Amino acid sequence: MTTDCSPQFTGTMSYILDPELARVVNAAIRLELPLLIKGEPGTGKTLLAQAIADNLELPLIQLNVKSSMKAVDALYHYDTLTRLNDSRFGDSGRDVSDINQYIRMGKIGQAFTSEQRTVLLIDEIDKADSDFQDDLLDVLDQMSFDLIEVDRTVMAQHRPIVIITSNAKRDLSDPFLGRCLFHHIAFPSRQFMERIVQAHFPDLSQQLLRRAVEVFYRFRAIDGVDKKPATRELLHWIRALISEPGFDPEQLADERTIPLLGLLFKKSDDLMRAKRHTKQLVA
Amino acid sequence: MFEGFFYQMRASGVPVTPTAFLRLHKALAVGLITSLDDLYAIARALLIKQERYFDLYDQVFAAYFAGKEMDQGTTLALEEELERLLEQWLRDPDFLEQLAQQERASLENMTREQLVQYFLDRLKEQTQEHRGGSYWIGTGGTSPVGHGGIHPQGMRVGGMGRNRSAIAVAMDRRYIDYSDQTPLTAQQLGEALKSLRHLAPVGPADQLDLDGTIERTVRQGGEIELVFKRRLKDKLSVFLFIDNGGWSMTPYIGRTQALFTNARDTFRKLRTFFFHNCIYDRVWEDPRRTQKPVDLDEILRAEPDTRLIVVGDASMAPFELFQTRGALDWTTRQRRTGIDCLRELATRFSKSVWINPILSSRWDWTDGAYTIEMIREIFPMVDLTLAGIEKAVELLKAT
Repeated sequence: MTTDCSPQFTGTMSYILDPELARVVNAAIRLELPLLIKGEPGTGKTLLAQAIADNLELPLIQLNVKSSMKAVDALYHYDTLTRLNDSRFGDSGRDVSDINQYIRMGKIGQAFTSEQRTVLLIDEIDKADSDFQDDLLDVLDQMSFDLIEVDRTVMAQHRPIVIITSNAKRDLSDPFLGRCLFHHIAFPSRQFMERIVQAHFPDLSQQLLRRAVEVFYRFRAIDGVDKKPATRELLHWIRALISEPGFDPEQLADERTIPLLGLLFKKSDDLMRAKRHTKQLVA
Repeated sequence: MFEGFFYQMRASGVPVTPTAFLRLHKALAVGLITSLDDLYAIARALLIKQERYFDLYDQVFAAYFAGKEMDQGTTLALEEELERLLEQWLRDPDFLEQLAQQERASLENMTREQLVQYFLDRLKEQTQEHRGGSYWIGTGGTSPVGHGGIHPQGMRVGGMGRNRSAIAVAMDRRYIDYSDQTPLTAQQLGEALKSLRHLAPVGPADQLDLDGTIERTVRQGGEIELVFKRRLKDKLSVFLFIDNGGWSMTPYIGRTQALFTNARDTFRKLRTFFFHNCIYDRVWEDPRRTQKPVDLDEILRAEPDTRLIVVGDASMAPFELFQTRGALDWTTRQRRTGIDCLRELATRFSKSVWINPILSSRWDWTDGAYTIEMIREIFPMVDLTLAGIEKAVELLKAT
């Protein structure tokens, strides 16, 4: 019985996987529980789902949660407008008396009705209000939902691998947490960060890599910055640096000549603070 | 298997549920866990749902599986423990009173270092008496703050005793970062605050609801029925002032936090400012009150129909209210007295309310009775209860 038919997630070329996270992901797949991922913005929460999908060669279905979203929006949509249009003009070839023709699946509905297993990413669930989570509880628990208009139940044909991300804007409810596995992506250590950068820029010189990562961590330590630069900002910054004509790694040695700070600090207050800090701007 | 681990975690104050524990057994049964590393990662993902418990989990895990003693030995670990323990003490007025009465004289003359040392020594005693130092942490869920909100009478030595400010300094690391920390969920309070949502004004129902019209029309087989909805107006802008300074507010932090998170969801435009005891020429947008000062004059220039909510116990020494150098923080520059600042706010923003975590039945009796009375002359004051919040909503709603 130990012969394991469920697939193993091992990371991809561009997604460097922390072994602890790998264990958790595999446990979530095996136990068929949703995996809730928290962590600072820009630490690869969303990318994880993409990496899992790539690695297991499954399609990724991404539900971007919006603040106004209701749970039913994620499940299905009854397209009354088209039906009205059809009933008036009747040239579409659809049968107006059949409501089923006018039901379109939302992202979760798509994942449930897909012919093959999918990876379902529910991104930034904390954006919606707590009713949204409560309504999704049963859906994810039982892997089914009802189409009220036609009184039919949609069952998941293949249980999707569910990844949920949260930026901790608000607390998720206890019952919701109780049904998930939970992992918090800690901010990468300097060593781990160097590996991440290397995976994205294999041709980067050791000297530039070291310098850039060092400068980056120094900047993260500046006091009072509202939005600290994260992995995403670092990668964008390095990409911009190497494509900048006439860029010399030596420029990173002196704080006053570090270019393109705007890519690391995206809020103007933060940028001013960083510039004052590096004496690029005299207070 | 591992029942001891389970109970040790519960005893240490980590909220683990039996369901989660059974899931761990399922994981074991299907062969997911083949090494201690697997166990560590997977058990954590299954049992712990909030990162703030990760540290505690690590300690219990190490204690149980590696035979490491919990919380003992290094002073460093003790100091971290100290923070937690202090908070616990602060939430337990009875214990605090006892502590203060026994040690009042010596507390008053202590420097910050001595105070920390004092608590450290104290902690070591507790560690010996209460097995592993986890006893006090374990009582976390049952602190009297949750249901009673008792005012700690013991610690107010002469209104503004030296021990109070010294403790305030010692507490510095403990200041709870309201914005970042995950909030405590106070069920009843959450219910009360839902009524704040009524604040959002809605206009006359004069806007055609296209989706609604189509849906109704379709349901009636093409017989057109027009559906109107209320015009959406901009939601209210609200200024929320929170007293997160030091000592006197500490027992109420749990409820204030819940208020804060709820408020953030309720209004579209919300600015939160923090102050210490009383509002002066400057308030802060960051909970630590160090990075982002905002001049009160800037706030006073905002739209007059902005709603103003102040959360504070309004209990302070009279000089904090009436003297131009009354601010506790040396760094606070002052042109006006605290009471003048409050008056200017109340004049500018006619829709304002002061929410006091102290129950209204106690306002005449607490240590801060005098300043509460003074502030009540400026702001309508309600207490942080279901009835109080409903009253506040009424006050802020009136057009």
